[in-house]
Amino acid sequence: MNLGITATQYLEQIKNGSLTVEEFISKTMERINKVEPSIHAYISLNNDAISQAKQIDKKLKAKENVGSCLGMPISIKDNICTKGMKTTCASKMLENFVAPYDATVISNLKSQDAIIIGKTNLDEFAMGISTEFSYFGPSRNPWNTDYVPGGSSGGSAVSVSALECIASLGSDTGGSVRNPASFCSVVGLKPTYGLVSRYGLISYANSIEQVGPMARTVEDTAFILNIISGIDQHDNTTIDKGKVDYTKELDVGVEGKRIGIISEMIGEGVDKQVAAATSKAISKLQTLGAECNEVSLDSVKFSVATYYTIAATEAGSNLARYDNIRYGFDFDVEGYEFNAYISKARKNFGPEVTRRMILGSFVPSAGYVGKYFLKALKVRSKIKSEIEQAFKKFDLLIAPTSPVLPFKIGEKVDDPLSLYLLDINTIVANLSGIPAISIPYEMTNGLPIGIQFFANSMQEKTLLQAAYALEKTTNLPGVPI
Amino acid sequence: MVKREEIVHAANLIKIDLKDHEKYIEQVEKILNYFDILDNASAESESFVTQEMSLDKLRDDKYVPFDEKLITQLKNYKGTFVKAPKMI
Amino acid sequence: MTKIGLEIHCQLTKLESKLFCSCKADYRSLDINTNICPVCIGLPGSLPLLNKNAVEKAAMISIALGCKTPPKIAFFRKNYFYPDLPKNFQITQYNAYGPTSIGSDGKVLIEDKEIRVRRIQLEEDPGRLVYEGTSEKTLLTLIDYNRAGTPLVEIVTEPDFETPKQVRLFLNVLADLVENLGVSDPSLEGALRVDGNISIDKGNRVEIKNVGSFKDIEKALHFEITRQQSLAERGIPIPAETRHWDEARKITVSARSKEEEQDYRYFLEADIPWVLIDSSVIDKLKKNMPESIYSKKERYIKKYGIPLQVAEVLSSDKFYSDLFEQAHNEKNAKEIANIITTDLKGFADTKEQREQLKLTPKHLADLADAIMNNIITRNSGKLALQEIVKSGKPLSEIISSLDLGHVDDKSSLSKIIDDVFSEEEKAVSEAKLNPDTINYLVGKVMRKTKGKADPALTLDIIKKKLDSK
Repeated sequence: MNLGITATQYLEQIKNGSLTVEEFISKTMERINKVEPSIHAYISLNNDAISQAKQIDKKLKAKENVGSCLGMPISIKDNICTKGMKTTCASKMLENFVAPYDATVISNLKSQDAIIIGKTNLDEFAMGISTEFSYFGPSRNPWNTDYVPGGSSGGSAVSVSALECIASLGSDTGGSVRNPASFCSVVGLKPTYGLVSRYGLISYANSIEQVGPMARTVEDTAFILNIISGIDQHDNTTIDKGKVDYTKELDVGVEGKRIGIISEMIGEGVDKQVAAATSKAISKLQTLGAECNEVSLDSVKFSVATYYTIAATEAGSNLARYDNIRYGFDFDVEGYEFNAYISKARKNFGPEVTRRMILGSFVPSAGYVGKYFLKALKVRSKIKSEIEQAFKKFDLLIAPTSPVLPFKIGEKVDDPLSLYLLDINTIVANLSGIPAISIPYEMTNGLPIGIQFFANSMQEKTLLQAAYALEKTTNLPGVPI
Repeated sequence: MVKREEIVHAANLIKIDLKDHEKYIEQVEKILNYFDILDNASAESESFVTQEMSLDKLRDDKYVPFDEKLITQLKNYKGTFVKAPKMI
Repeated sequence: MTKIGLEIHCQLTKLESKLFCSCKADYRSLDINTNICPVCIGLPGSLPLLNKNAVEKAAMISIALGCKTPPKIAFFRKNYFYPDLPKNFQITQYNAYGPTSIGSDGKVLIEDKEIRVRRIQLEEDPGRLVYEGTSEKTLLTLIDYNRAGTPLVEIVTEPDFETPKQVRLFLNVLADLVENLGVSDPSLEGALRVDGNISIDKGNRVEIKNVGSFKDIEKALHFEITRQQSLAERGIPIPAETRHWDEARKITVSARSKEEEQDYRYFLEADIPWVLIDSSVIDKLKKNMPESIYSKKERYIKKYGIPLQVAEVLSSDKFYSDLFEQAHNEKNAKEIANIITTDLKGFADTKEQREQLKLTPKHLADLADAIMNNIITRNSGKLALQEIVKSGKPLSEIISSLDLGHVDDKSSLSKIIDDVFSEEEKAVSEAKLNPDTINYLVGKVMRKTKGKADPALTLDIIKKKLDSK
């Protein structure tokens, strides 16, 4: 059996009876058990997956109504709440936390009869770009296990890439879906802010983050986006998407599309091979009839400082609730004074979370709020205006997803600033709220390179169409593991 | 230039104990120095990015119970109270 | 000069659900920690969902206190750690980016003194804490989250009060106002709480916190004035600080200095979009709002010529003004206002008295008409009222059963006066010498007639009789 089939193929095979859900789920579980020791994509697995698969098979056999996922195995980043399963955020602070409710995206998937196969690894509280900052240890890149899979949705990207599921949900605060998608050679989409409900996504920087689908093809990504998007009565920040089917008209091509190449993201600091792959992709798009021209987004040079100022401030506040009193690890409160207790408990945050919380307390503090936090909010607004201006001239923007190739595990772990700077190509989408997608484009010495498209707010359809067109020009090898 | 005590104070506000964690102070200092790049951005005339919604889209004032036994899913309780450390 | 400012927290007790979730707003008398959900205990992944009615009720308070309501309101996070705060931040409002709280720049008149309202904000109440151990040595803090997230309106005034008495009057007006608007029941414990700040003679500002009741804020302010004055007299500077009200000892105690180092790092709560409050919303609220105390008072004075002090008492108490509105017509309005504010007050001051009251608006109208038509005297009216509130019988029945009919025929009154004169010879001779003591005789006549005698006529006859002696 081929576990590398797409969602579309899976649905066909289940429908025509050449495959049962139980067969596929069992094989997937076998695969997981076999490859996990070398890649560590998952934090926990769904022990009921096979019995859930049997249930769906039974319903199919009885010709009862079954949701559109037909038992498809989907993995979930472990910062998205799943009722009855642990949701740890890869942190000791939540190592025993079981949410009493499902995130809206999980309810959506379950109502379409998807099987939540397991919860995937991440950088603690989604803060990182390598999945090395997980309390449960790093995930490894299936293309070369000495390398990081990217982050923070590293486990999700690995699970999709290594055929441990058909698709996954990650979350993208500053590139956390797109970066690991690029590093692991899968597709990852960051939707428009508000298109997908955040109810049940454990907040890191709530004004900019979104849950995003990850899959092996653009079409599969569109399929998952259909299920998880739309207005949610549990999240006041969601917006009405209207009547739209993202899987339709994917093959309209890019002829006549105006594509802006973001100058600040292809020049200095970009790895030569990444730059070359990007140029190649642009030429391909031109052959397909797109008009490609450079566009300068002047404030991109401030985007890393802006992003980390805002994200850290929100993180400091969002993570304040982890005082280990209502939930957390075993550590009795008796005998301690309140402040002493929570300071001691909070020493169990990992290094990256600790750094960002200190930053997040500092930049909005009295005396510095004007210099850092308020200034960052204004620069964010400026970045947004520049993006809006650019979309008056272009239908899409393009840039490499990451300025660099995947790096070795341990290589950058003690140099936080150098890691932050690697976010430069992804964070503008979060700061301005627009959608962006990363698709696998090339392999260089066995390491993947991803290309990223941006579209204007709510233009996911245009975004997916361009990604689909470029995807059709690629011919990438199967995962070696 | 940011003072080390100010970083320690910020950490205290957020209940992060920096004892034996000198390296964090240095790393945060270095990152803050990088953030000074924002001084070069001219954005004074900019406002803030916000979302808006109309009043009638807000939740209706209706009581819907969640689950009376929710408390049993938390740790650290005494009787039916949640147990927290003492205040001085 | 003494300057006092207030911060009042008013719970919106008339709501069904909490401010950001669908748990019950009425947390009182529920089993501990049964009125909770992922939102109000701050479980990871939960999001606040703003209660529409809470915004409307807060806007009503804001309108009633003469505040401006902005076109958009925003919510902020106030960041600090405390065991009663499940998220370790409080969602509140703050005017960092221009006026975005539900109200600002209002004013209220208290005895012709203008009290400016700086800001009105909608926010969540924290949970309830119980300390185990003694007050000197606590062992544990126990938390009940039933109250966490219930809707609270904070009203912040400018330091415009000059005396604790003005503070009390203002608080009474405010309590009546929120009740009148149907947004809060001030009689519930904790529904209205107040903190104050006070400075004397340009000295430093001292914050007073932890005041449980309205009564205690007056006591706390008096205590502070005395304390600060005695420091000033001895030339000791008054430190700017926060002091806690010690209810048991009835004194204020300096709070730990740590509290003053707080830096709340306010910033926008992005989980709640800015809410548009366009003018049509405000107009609709105004239309459906009960008349404000202030406008009621003005109407009573202008339309019926009711004296200021009577109008103030009548308008500020919803129970009294409702009675008045139902009982009066153009002619008897003044008399009814009088009866309510002078005679009825003694019978209907407390909640229990009001609940047992048998009086109807018709009783009041009948009573006023009887007095105005000289059927009974004011004094008899008082007796009749006493009976009405107890029995609820019609006025006519009470007049005949208590024999309250007016004594206004000269001959029978003259006879009674003769009787009094013969009983009070000494007083009569004194009255001849000193007319100021005549009232004693009038009183005797009144007692003999059980208050039925017409006072003016009685006086007239007594004077004539004295002259002729």
